[in-house]
Amino acid sequence: MRDLMQSSDTQRGSRLRLALPKGRNLKPTVKALRAAGIALEGLDLDGRALRQEFPKEGLEVLLLKNWDLPVYVEHGVADLGIVGSDVLAEVDGDLLIPLRLRDGRCRLSLIGRPGSFPQPGMQVRLATKYLAAARKYLAGAAFSAEVFPLGGSVELAPFLDLADLAIDIVQTGATLAAHGLVELETIEEVAPCVVVNRAGFQAHRRRINEWMDGLERAEVAS
Amino acid sequence: MRVSAELPLGVASLFGAAARERRRLETDLVTLLEARGFEEVILPILDYVDPYEAILGPGARSELYRFTGREGETLALRSDFTPMLARLLAPRVPVLELPARFFYRGDVVRYREPRVGARREMYQLGTEIVAPPGESSEREALEAFVELLDRVPGPRPRIVLGLAGALDELLGRAEDPARLLEAIGRRERAAARNLSSALLEVVEGGVPSDPSALGSTMAAQLGDLQTTLAELSGRYTGIDWELDLAEFAATGSRFVDDSAGARSYYDGVVFRAYLGREATPVGGGGRYDRLFERLGANVSAVGFSLGLDGLLAASQGGDR
Repeated sequence: MRDLMQSSDTQRGSRLRLALPKGRNLKPTVKALRAAGIALEGLDLDGRALRQEFPKEGLEVLLLKNWDLPVYVEHGVADLGIVGSDVLAEVDGDLLIPLRLRDGRCRLSLIGRPGSFPQPGMQVRLATKYLAAARKYLAGAAFSAEVFPLGGSVELAPFLDLADLAIDIVQTGATLAAHGLVELETIEEVAPCVVVNRAGFQAHRRRINEWMDGLERAEVAS
Repeated sequence: MRVSAELPLGVASLFGAAARERRRLETDLVTLLEARGFEEVILPILDYVDPYEAILGPGARSELYRFTGREGETLALRSDFTPMLARLLAPRVPVLELPARFFYRGDVVRYREPRVGARREMYQLGTEIVAPPGESSEREALEAFVELLDRVPGPRPRIVLGLAGALDELLGRAEDPARLLEAIGRRERAAARNLSSALLEVVEGGVPSDPSALGSTMAAQLGDLQTTLAELSGRYTGIDWELDLAEFAATGSRFVDDSAGARSYYDGVVFRAYLGREATPVGGGGRYDRLFERLGANVSAVGFSLGLDGLLAASQGGDR
């Protein structure tokens, strides 16, 4: 039966399309892939090319924005990719998530000025780009908030008094400290996740499983 | 006066060649079903919510469009043909000549979050075979399913088969089986590995190397399905066949809360078809004796549906 299941890899003979995330997860992702034996020799991370081919490895790499990547993978434009669990929680897609990378982990946190955690019953203004996470968090909070979306540099909102609080990613905390802000509460741990298209998994099962084995063996993902 | 031509999200109009193409495909597929002895049933688009909602499949409650009728009754737009047909057929079973073969066509309407390609109105063509209890019609349904797909031009179809509730025995030892089912459906390796090596094999390869890990009943059903699959894949070589229990991890599982209508009505062989590289399934079905049992009829039932618009789009898109 396994022969039946695996036959399609060779039948299709098509190249695997891998979507890599621009931004903070790009370097940890490439490092993890290389540790797992996926060399991506000649990969240009700084150029303008959004699509790069690696014929020797039977691979095509797409460089995509973090928030767009799950959509491309879900719709089969890419077979697999790496994207933060923070983004996955916001973009409700039907994706496989076999592994999480160990490097590049961070936290989604409630941030504000020191001592600004709201008293029970208080109403505050909260800025974030993580609207689904904010709704979920506030559903269990003792205070309420007027949530408004911001696209980037969310920490500026409490720093410049546009908002009382913000929900955003915290990696080292250095940016917060530089702006006199603190992490008031950790909402959830965030990790770069390997995401795979359902049909892509069926079509390239053997190869994708080999990649996952390689990432686990190199102890860069679990 | 300028009138806007904008339509609500998730619906579409078809003009000219697009309309002709869908009608042509529909006629072609209907001809094939009639040749196989299926008889058409025409079902209403409106139904009362109460009896309909109680027998809906997975997640269907949240997708239902419901409203208050002019007489104050709560009505729903049809979101799934199978439960509606089963509700209407169950009281007629004593006078039906079994096996009875039906087909239907029409729109189903389901709420979908706005996203790329998300349709809220879908035109479906489907079949149901109602047979005496214990009689298996899965192969006949699968053959009809394959032959319909075979009429659609374009890329090679992929059909994935599984068994409803197949992993229940393996999950018996898990602390939170419902959550683990979700993880298995997403093929999370760590979650599977933590419970058993057999579950990890399912996540990676679709089936365990030792089927007895699934329990004796399920192992026997898996053996039957493997035999069916071997025969079908030898006969229909233009299809990529897969057997994958993880693909249907939560389908029909006893660990999925049935009280809120969240549990699938499937309780035997289940299958789904994909075309091209797009992940959107173009159709699927399975066995659902339990649904009739809940409606007071003791029969064996199997059916499937195909989404004609999805089918046409996937066939035209081809492989990138």
